[in-house]
Order: sequence, then structure tokens, then C-alpha cells
Amino acid sequence: MLLLQVIVGGLLLGAVYALFSSGLTLIWGMMNFINFAHGEFVMLGMYVALVVVTWIGGGPAAFGLGAAFALFVLGVVVYLSLIRHVVRGPMLAQILSTFGLALLLRYSAFWIFSANFVSLPQTSLSGTVNLAGILMPVAQLVAGVVAITLTVALHLLLARTALGSRLLAVAEDRNAAMLMGIRPDRMQALAWGLSAGAAGIAGALMAIAYPWSPSVGETFGLTAFVVVALGGFGSVPGALYAGLIIGLIQALSAYWLGPVYKDIVVYALFAALLWLRPQGLLGRA
Amino acid sequence: MLLEASEVSMAFGSFAAVSGASLAVEEGEIVGLIGPNGAGKSTFFNCLAGDMQPTSGRIVFAGVDLTRTSPETHALAGIGRTFQVPATFEDMTLLDNVMVGAFLRYPQPEQAREHARRILGLTGLGGYAGQRARSLGTPGRKRLEIARVLATRPRLMLLDEALAGLTPTELQQAVALVREIHASGVTLVIVEHIMEVIMTLTKRVLVFNQGHVIASGAPESVVREEAVIEAYIGRGRRKRRQ
Amino acid sequence: MRYGAVTLWAALLAYPLVLYNQFYWDIGVGLLLAAITASAWNIVGGYAGQVSVGHAMFFGIGAYAPLLVYHLWKLPPVAGVPLAIGLSLALAVIIGVPTLRLKGHYFSMATIAIAELIRIFVGTWDLVGAAIGLQGPAVGRGWWDLTFRSEIPYYYIFLGVLAVLLSVTAVVERGRFGYYLRAIKAGERAARSLGVPVQQTKLKALMLSAAFTSVAGSLYAIKTGFIDPESGFGILVSVQMVIVAALGGAGTRLGPLVGALVLVPAQTAINTWFGGGGTGLTYILYGGIILVLARFEPGGLHELWHRAAPLLRRRARAA
Repeated sequence: MLLLQVIVGGLLLGAVYALFSSGLTLIWGMMNFINFAHGEFVMLGMYVALVVVTWIGGGPAAFGLGAAFALFVLGVVVYLSLIRHVVRGPMLAQILSTFGLALLLRYSAFWIFSANFVSLPQTSLSGTVNLAGILMPVAQLVAGVVAITLTVALHLLLARTALGSRLLAVAEDRNAAMLMGIRPDRMQALAWGLSAGAAGIAGALMAIAYPWSPSVGETFGLTAFVVVALGGFGSVPGALYAGLIIGLIQALSAYWLGPVYKDIVVYALFAALLWLRPQGLLGRA
Repeated sequence: MLLEASEVSMAFGSFAAVSGASLAVEEGEIVGLIGPNGAGKSTFFNCLAGDMQPTSGRIVFAGVDLTRTSPETHALAGIGRTFQVPATFEDMTLLDNVMVGAFLRYPQPEQAREHARRILGLTGLGGYAGQRARSLGTPGRKRLEIARVLATRPRLMLLDEALAGLTPTELQQAVALVREIHASGVTLVIVEHIMEVIMTLTKRVLVFNQGHVIASGAPESVVREEAVIEAYIGRGRRKRRQ
Repeated sequence: MRYGAVTLWAALLAYPLVLYNQFYWDIGVGLLLAAITASAWNIVGGYAGQVSVGHAMFFGIGAYAPLLVYHLWKLPPVAGVPLAIGLSLALAVIIGVPTLRLKGHYFSMATIAIAELIRIFVGTWDLVGAAIGLQGPAVGRGWWDLTFRSEIPYYYIFLGVLAVLLSVTAVVERGRFGYYLRAIKAGERAARSLGVPVQQTKLKALMLSAAFTSVAGSLYAIKTGFIDPESGFGILVSVQMVIVAALGGAGTRLGPLVGALVLVPAQTAINTWFGGGGTGLTYILYGGIILVLARFEPGGLHELWHRAAPLLRRRARAA
């Protein structure tokens, strides 16, 4: 029974991983660009949720939407002011740009919020629920379910809507897309907004269920990367499967080997992936 | 037979960019590859240069099977190529650009430098040796690419639209350069859209359309073939004129 | 520029004798260490354009091995340096072969992930001190333990290593290997078409870089007498290498040294003025500097100087 609980817990957390990782994979697939500050976007989503709850007193919907909106705006701003320019330049500049952003965001958060772990005050999502004998915190359950729903929604947005095909057209062939009347700049800005927004909501969802501090951004960034590498770059469905798998593996590693091993196993998995199948499960090489 | 490409096919998933293309080039020839955009010429070129590994077929150069080898191996064997969109080393000087090519045959820096200077002089770029490649316009970059490849002392050069986008004067100079290179003993396979260039430079052309070689022979006769005209202009219009 | 270089070296040689003060010696040693690590990184990250942000993996090995041989077998730490270099070279090959195939960003992320893996793993491994780390000899048993009470011997040892590293870099720059590195950075596809053995060259660059980074780590451990997973393998170690090199000018021989000359004193100044809150602010500033650098002048101070110099000369002539 405990094992089953661990599994379900792992999958639920994995669902949240899937959500923010799909943001990372979207940008990667579109622009061959890794946002090294992506983990920090998630972390900021958590703090936005905290601020909304403590200052404005909103409920889950309020801070969820607040985080999504705030991060969406941040994503667009980052694209327009920074990414758009460095992407045309040398590799070093590209890598340093979001890395610098990550440091700036992370240590500003340390400065403003201190290094202490915080969590959201009791919300309507407290308590546990009994699902066929497994005791699941409501918060984790809600976080996981909403995360999966949003990830699937993102996938559908990309694969089934006109907007989605415009985004993918730019990813496929920027010049051809321009000839078809699509504005690549706008689409890329939108993609950054969506990516950051996904990270923000994921952060808010996690804030419901787990405590955090500014240091979590670094780990989330790496987790997102491993998820994307496993699932295949540019593939949102891949990110979904991989997220769930990584969440599961983490939970089982912590359960069987000890909490300190949960990250080691994930990174070791990544190292193995590098050697054996760099394009991931569902990605193009 | 210097280069023998037999039944080369290159497919990307279900899309066949090149199907069963064959090309035999004797040492000392200049052969042209023509055809509408997207016909597979550049893909075929990439296979010949080792940039891509053909899905089927064979490429034999000077008796050595190079089909599944890397671009580096091709260069070492004596095949050089230029790129449709010039890929010069922007932040390096012209001299340094050409030296990178020279190092293939001259491992010592002093010799490589000397050889590079010579090549720059031959290609008319001697005066710009110390400038960064970035400072050149497109015609200059194309010429630099040619110089850089020449420095590797190739037996066969694959020129991918090296003469496109030039003014009439520049074109004249470029054609003269190509002739000089040919005269020095380099075999050439060139992809071009400019018919005038094809007519004057080449004795033999292959016509590509939709991945297949649809015609081959002397340029004057090939351009009069129905299949070739159709490929460029499309069916039906000739009939309407009559 | 010739006179500049000579003056620079003269100044570096004279520095601890002119500024005869513990405070300045500390800065000097820190500065040299930063210059060494950044210059080592520069070989693969600056010249070849393979932006590794996980170079701490080599630094950490370099730092742990000497203290480990002391901890386990009571050998002088310096005896662990060859071991460190060997291990770093091996790691460079194991990591390099799969990752150097990867394009740009993927490579960088991969290096971060692997360095993290090693850091966490070392933190759980009791043999190497786990989270607590390792210590060197508290008091030297002889000169071979290199536990000097004054900073000055360390300063000159570090300066010597830096000089060797920069000489090696100069030799690399002038020869075929250096040209091939720059070609790879400027355009891999074109480089291949000219016969450059891209994979092999990248790997050699990584190995050379790893060896020197390892030496830097060893110097750090011998001087400080202490190492733990964070100070050896932490991300900030990797990041600092990159910033220092990028600030001065990645891909130029003296760029990393210039970067160190600017950044290390600046860091000390901030730490001194802001006291405890200093470290947090330092990294906010780091982030800001990196951002500005990336956005406006990725070529660093070197590029800035080259652009400004002709303008300044013109003004001087007009005056």
C-alpha cells in the first residue's frame, strides 16, 4: 500500500514536471534554444502564488491565474528585450544570456524572500483523501490532475489549432513561414509567453502541495532538461510521458534508496541517455 | 574515371530528395548540374561531398569507395566544395580562413601561411588578407570560399551556385577564375542557374527534376529537350503559344 | 600591445612586494586562481566555442585527489596532482565522446547535468568525506606539504602555473590545432568540408582544458587545505570560469586574465562594503554583468577595446 502511494505520488509530481517541461521543449523545438532560466520561472510562479495569497488573499484559481499571467508577461518581455537579439549572435552570448537571467532571478529572490523554505498558508485544498485505500494529500492530487490537463491542452493547442500550426510553421521553417504571412517574431514571443506561463502555473500548482525556497529553481531547470532529453526535444507528448516517468523514478529511488538518491538516479539516467539515445524516446535526432 | 556516383538515392523519411542519380566524371572535365529549385541538386552535391550519407547507391572517387565516409575523409581524398550560402569564418581574417584550408596539406604554420598567401593572390584577394571575412560582401565571400577550398589542393571541386548574384563584371571575373582553376588541373562539377555560364564553361550537363536525372549531354542539345523545358516551365504553356 | 603585455607581467611579478599586505595578497592569489581556471576553460570554451558550464567537474577532481591521497595515505597533497590529471583526462574522454556530438545548448546543459551528478554523488560517498569534505595537513610536515603560512609562495607558484598555461595557449594559437579550434567555432560544417577532424579536435581541446582545470583545482585545495562538494563541484565554480573568461574576452589569450583583473577585485570590494549580505548581492551583480555582456558585447572587454581604440586614437590625433 505504501508502495502504491509512493507510485501515485511520484506520478502526480511527474505530471507537474511534464507541465513545465513542455514549456522548455516548446522553445527548444522552435528555436533550438534552451532557456537556462526556466527553472527560475517555475520558482517565480511559486512566489507569485505566495504573494497573491498573502497580499490579496486569493484562492487557488486566483493565484494560479496570477502566476500564469505574470510569467506569461515575463516570458514575452524576456524574448523581446533579450532573446531576440542574442539568438542571431555567437553561441557564448546565447548561453550566457539566459544563464545570467537565471542568476539574476535566483539571487534576487534570495535577496527579497530570504533562503528560508516557505509554503502557502492553508487553502481550501488541504487535507487528505482516501482513494481505494491510498491516502493522498488533496493538494498533490489537484496539482497533478490540473497539470496533466494543462499539458494535454497545450499539446492540443499546438497540434490542432490554427495558432498552433502557425507556431509550428515558424519552428519548421522561419523563412517559409514569413512567406506565408506569419510573423515569426510574434510567434516566438508568444511561444516564450506560453513557455513561461506553463512554468508559472506549474510553480503555483507545486506551491499548493510542497514547500520551496529560491534554490529550487536550479533543480527544476535540470529536471526539465532531463525530462525534455528523455521525451525528445520539441515533443510535448514526449514531455508528458517523460515527466511522468521521471516523477515515478524519483519517487521510487527515494523510497528504495533514500531521499538523497532521488536526483542522482535521474541525472545518471540522463548520462545513460547521452550515451545510448541522445534524441530521447519520441524526438527527432 | 575520377568520380563515379551510381544510383545514388537520398530519402528523408518518406520524401525522396534524390532517386537513382548517376554521374561519371573524367579527370579534367567540367560538368554542370542544372534543374529547377528543389530538384535535388544540392542534396546530390551534399552526398558527393560526404555531408550526407546516401540512403542507397555508391560513390567512388579515384578508385576509393567514399559512400559512407565523413566530409573530412572526402576532403582528404581530394574532393572540395563550396556552399550555396557562403559559410566563411566570419570573425577570422581572409588569410586565416584560407590557412584553415591550407593546413590540410601543409601542417606547419609557416608553410600553410605561404600557401594561403599564394592562393589569395591567385584569386585576387591578396590585398584583403588582413581583413575579417565579415567585412566582405557576398561576391567577396564566395570568392573567399573558393580560395579556401583551393588551398586544400582538391582534385575535384564541387561549386554550389558560386556564380549566383554577381554583377556582369563580377561574373566575368568569376568565370575567368573558374577557367584558371580548371586550367590548373582541377576537375569541376558546378551547380548553376545562369545558362550563359553553363553554356560557356561546361561541355556536359545533367538535368535534375524532382530528384531524378531527366537528361544529360551537351548543354546546347539538352536545353532543347522537351523534358527539360517542361521541367523549368511546366506543361501546357508551349501548347498555348501555338 | 607588446608593451602592454610586458608591463602586465612586470606588474604581476612585483605586485605582492609592492602591496605588502595580507589583504592584497589574498586578492592577488584569488585573482591568479580565477585567471588560471578561466584560461583553462578558454581553450575549449573560448577558442573552440564549446561552452561548457560544468567545468567544475574537472576542478573538483583536481581539488579532491590531493586531499584524498593525504587523507587516505598521509602522502603530501602534491602527490595527488598527477592522479587528478589522469582522472580528469579520463572523465574528459568519457564525457566528451557523447556530449561533443551535441549542438550548442544541448552540450552546455549536458555539462551542467553531469557536474551536478558528480557533485551530489560525491556528497554521498563516505570515502571522500561525503557532505563534510576533506582537509589537508593542518601543519606542514616539511616543505613538500606546501603549507606555507604566508600567501607569497602560493602567489608565485600560481603565477608560474598561469605563465605556463598562457604559453601553452600561445603555442596552440599559432599552430594548426589552434586554427582548427577557431574554425570549429566559426563554422563546423565548413570546417569539416576542409578536412578538419572536428570530433577529434574538440576532444583534444576538452582534454587539454580538463588537465589544466584540474591543476587549478589542485592549487586551490593545496592552498586552502579544505574541499567539499560545493566548493569543488558546485555550479558557481563553473559559472565563475565562464564569466571571467567572457568578461575579458573568450577566445583571446589574455582575455581571461583581464577578466580576472577586473572581476576579482570588484567581488572583493562588494564583499567588503556589503559585509554579510555581500555574497547574495555579488551573484545578483554577476547575473547582471553576464546579461549585459551577452546582450551588448559578447566579445568582452577585448572586443570593446578593439572597437574603442581606433576612435580614441583619432581623438588623440585631432587634439
